[in-house]
Amino acid sequence: MADQLYLENIDEFVTDQNKIVTYKWLSYTLGVHVNQAKQMLYDYVERKRKENSGAQLHVTYLVSGSFIQNGHSCHKVAVVREDKLEAVKSKLAVTASIHVYSIQKAMLKDSGPLFNTDYDILKSNLQNCSKFSAIQCAAAVPRVPAESSSSRKFEQSNLQASNETPANNELTTNGHGPPPSKQVSQQPKGIMGMFASKAATKTQDTNKETKTEAKEVTNASSAGSKAPGKGNMMSNFFGKAAMNKLKVNLDSEQPVKEEKIVEQPPVSVTEPKLATPADLKKSSKKAEPVKMQQKEKKCNRGKRIELSDDETKETGNVKKKRRRIKLPQSDSSEDEVIPDSPGTYEAESPSPPPPISPPSDPVPKTEPEPSSVKNSSGENKRKRKRVLKSKTFVDIEGCIVTEKFYESESCTDSEEEFKTKTSSGHRSPAMTVKKEPKEERKSLKKGAAALGKANRQVSITGFFQRK
Amino acid sequence: MTTLTRQDLNFGQVVADVLCEFLEVAVHLILYVREVYPVGIFQKRKKYNVPVQMSCHPELNQYIQDTLHCVKPLLEKFCPGWAITVSPAAVLGPGWEPAILSSQPGPLSPKNDVEKVVVVILDKEHRPVEKFVFEITQPPLLSISSDSLLSHVEQLLRAFILKISVCDAVLDHNPPGCTFTVLVHTREAATRNMEKIQVIKDFPWILADEQDVHMHDPRLIPLKTMTSDILKMQLYVEERAHKSS
Repeated sequence: MADQLYLENIDEFVTDQNKIVTYKWLSYTLGVHVNQAKQMLYDYVERKRKENSGAQLHVTYLVSGSFIQNGHSCHKVAVVREDKLEAVKSKLAVTASIHVYSIQKAMLKDSGPLFNTDYDILKSNLQNCSKFSAIQCAAAVPRVPAESSSSRKFEQSNLQASNETPANNELTTNGHGPPPSKQVSQQPKGIMGMFASKAATKTQDTNKETKTEAKEVTNASSAGSKAPGKGNMMSNFFGKAAMNKLKVNLDSEQPVKEEKIVEQPPVSVTEPKLATPADLKKSSKKAEPVKMQQKEKKCNRGKRIELSDDETKETGNVKKKRRRIKLPQSDSSEDEVIPDSPGTYEAESPSPPPPISPPSDPVPKTEPEPSSVKNSSGENKRKRKRVLKSKTFVDIEGCIVTEKFYESESCTDSEEEFKTKTSSGHRSPAMTVKKEPKEERKSLKKGAAALGKANRQVSITGFFQRK
Repeated sequence: MTTLTRQDLNFGQVVADVLCEFLEVAVHLILYVREVYPVGIFQKRKKYNVPVQMSCHPELNQYIQDTLHCVKPLLEKFCPGWAITVSPAAVLGPGWEPAILSSQPGPLSPKNDVEKVVVVILDKEHRPVEKFVFEITQPPLLSISSDSLLSHVEQLLRAFILKISVCDAVLDHNPPGCTFTVLVHTREAATRNMEKIQVIKDFPWILADEQDVHMHDPRLIPLKTMTSDILKMQLYVEERAHKSS
């Protein structure tokens, strides 16, 4: 009875509806296993052939087996028409499988309609495409959408952890410090939290300090192994000079080095770095000069970063590093002394030159440095320079006092050179103001003296040139 | 007479594009399946995510493209609310179906300029042996609000392609040396619109002859019918009873 039903179904599909009935299509349509569908088709063809009915049937077969071509043996699977079946079978060395692929009334000229037949029904059964298939895997279970989203997050975290595991393994092999996985996992979080919120930074800084003390030895031991790995990351952003600085820090100041190394991953992330510059200032002071160096290295502009007097000692090494970067011009600038030029300006121009701005007491140390770098480059670039300006006023005693101070101005290299040449003849040793030398010494100590001259010269000559 | 809005024109253009693409594929497939041209000039291409056969002969391809390009403006008039008031029926000439079917249909019974697109296979004596008729009408409820509209239409058109592929089973073999032509059943007003394009494309259309249109004692074989939100179409074949005679 059941046999009759499915045979009638197939007969209806093929004869009445003029459809192409593939075993796969039949399997999905009747809800039977593919092997059973193949057997159904075979039975139908056999019965029809026996009945010798008027309906003409065309059958395609799927043949598979080992095929030897050019001396190489390969497994071949082919869908062939019934009239070519024997020819294909003879070519196969070993015939592994032959079964009915499809039955249709029309004689097919190509395999396109066969694909078209299975396309829509497979598309509509994508969720359970292997339900009636003979190829199954017990482990292949579709995921729940909630699980899939959580698994993606888990995979991402695993990828991050896998990137960090090499460093962890190095620490464990050295056998120093607390469990490395916790440390490494906490460090980026701590750093990221430092960038994210101000409150978190304070607590994390204390944690870092304790960790840095414990890690000093470990970092010293693993410096060689870490530096190359970290160096690659650093070099991508800061170049070789920064790497050299880091190595010096490793040798000299391990806590500072530790913070640098710790901060390198987040420094590579530009968003948190740029998002909270205030947090940088509030973080440990040791980290600031390094960051200042890195910022200067990134952009050629002379960024003014104010440092307190307490940081001068700590930045002594940083100064040395800056000198290395800035080549000999900084050395030459330090040796020069410029006491007299402000007096000459005063003598020639008793009226205060425009524009006059109040003196800035915390003179930034780093201002002249980038300009010297630019001079060495010899290129005409727009840059900021410290220009000596004077301000005249009457003091308590009734004396006219002219104060000299440095002010940053933007100018080009060509202007500076011309100003240096023209102003060289105007220098005179006369000093008429008490306060001038002190201000000059303060300003000159912190920057290149040549640039100080040039700046003063720029102010005078620039004033004349503008006219 | 209502005026077309921009939205209506865009909708009409979409439908026209879909139809013209399908008709191009169908014509190529008919020529391949019915062996109007040798199998060697056809190559397997992909359309609607299924393999189809397309001619690689440039002149043949250009002819089919020009034909459908002239038909396209008529298909663009395929828009909702296009209520027409037409003059009394007038027969353009021999070979044309009655160009205007009725006068003053209601505003809710839109008409389009194209009634049928027919691919006629002619024997050596230029007599039709087969006619693949694509009868195009507007669906009763025209809407484009469904998100899966185009995928559904694609699925239906795929079924048309499959039916054309297996039409050999229900049709007799054609005599050798057959040719083909394309007929468009439309209205008189529409022909004036076509004239502009004909001048631009240098692809003139002529009124069909009586013998090209009418077939003696044809056998009607329905192949496929589809109804979607934007299109209603049926494909059937008119086959001459005795092809060899």
